[in-house]
Amino acid sequence: MEVRDLKLDGNAIGGILLELFGAELTAAPCVCGGCGAREEVARLEVYVGAGLVVRCPHCEAVLIRIVQSRARTWLDLSGTASLELGSP
Amino acid sequence: MAGTALLGRLTWLGATVSSVVPETPHVHTLELDVPGWPGHRAGQHLDVRLTAEDGYQAQRSYSIASAPGDGVALTVERLDDGEVSPYLVDEAREGDQLEVRGPVGGYFVWDGDEPEPVLLVAGGSGVVPLTAMARHRARVGSETPMRLVYSSRTWDDVIYRDELETLGLDVVHTLTREQPPGWRGYSRRIDRELLAEVAWPASEHPRVYVCGSTRFVDAAADGLLALGYDAAWIRTERFGATG
Repeated sequence: MEVRDLKLDGNAIGGILLELFGAELTAAPCVCGGCGAREEVARLEVYVGAGLVVRCPHCEAVLIRIVQSRARTWLDLSGTASLELGSP
Repeated sequence: MAGTALLGRLTWLGATVSSVVPETPHVHTLELDVPGWPGHRAGQHLDVRLTAEDGYQAQRSYSIASAPGDGVALTVERLDDGEVSPYLVDEAREGDQLEVRGPVGGYFVWDGDEPEPVLLVAGGSGVVPLTAMARHRARVGSETPMRLVYSSRTWDDVIYRDELETLGLDVVHTLTREQPPGWRGYSRRIDRELLAEVAWPASEHPRVYVCGSTRFVDAAADGLLALGYDAAWIRTERFGATG
């Protein structure tokens, strides 16, 4: 397996985002805190390892980090300038 | 009502395998009976959770193969070093229980109410969510032009091979590893030159859905951009190497 086999896209985190936010977010616009690019979550780069790292496809800044165990979820959104949720 | 549907999607639902259909030596379709399933859109996926006797849980995402309104079917490829797919392909039997959550996804979906022609580009089992779109189109009697470009390793690896000919869309196969005697289709990986011959002209502003491995998706998307397609027309979904 190569590193790029671990690279997916934001479609892959739709389930966990649904669980955390209670809303469908793969089509939600997300603004990068680094370069300001605005992309739908499905277009972001997702790297799968012990946790999930979501990067901006334009500048590679880390936007979101998620680590889950059975007992808890740790969510870091510090690289994200904004995430736009539509009406349910 | 919206609240009820949302709750249904957030909750793990019990599912019963109602039938198992072999598609290829490595790929099976599982039809599921899911009481409380809120319905889905063509292209969405769901999460499957398996729980072992000792409480260990494993979870993966699988594309929904069935058209909206036509039950819940998953088509799963066995990845030999996978954690969930070997069970689903080799062991799952009618009556087995598992848990599902979903549907998931509001981006990689086609509802059939846009007039633009649709180009579907599939690598291997990436054909599954695209087939849900083709089945949806056939089911609702849509006349939107739809074309599938489908890359498989061999003729025996082509999933839904016979059904695809009956759905009323154009199907272009390429077989990258081995071709049957007398094969007259394509026999190379999908690239700009191949797409230039089979994709809708950019002037038609087609809607594009590409699904496969990351390598496949990146190559196909790059080829389409080189043909003058706008990035906004191209929706992609990448499959993982773990299953």
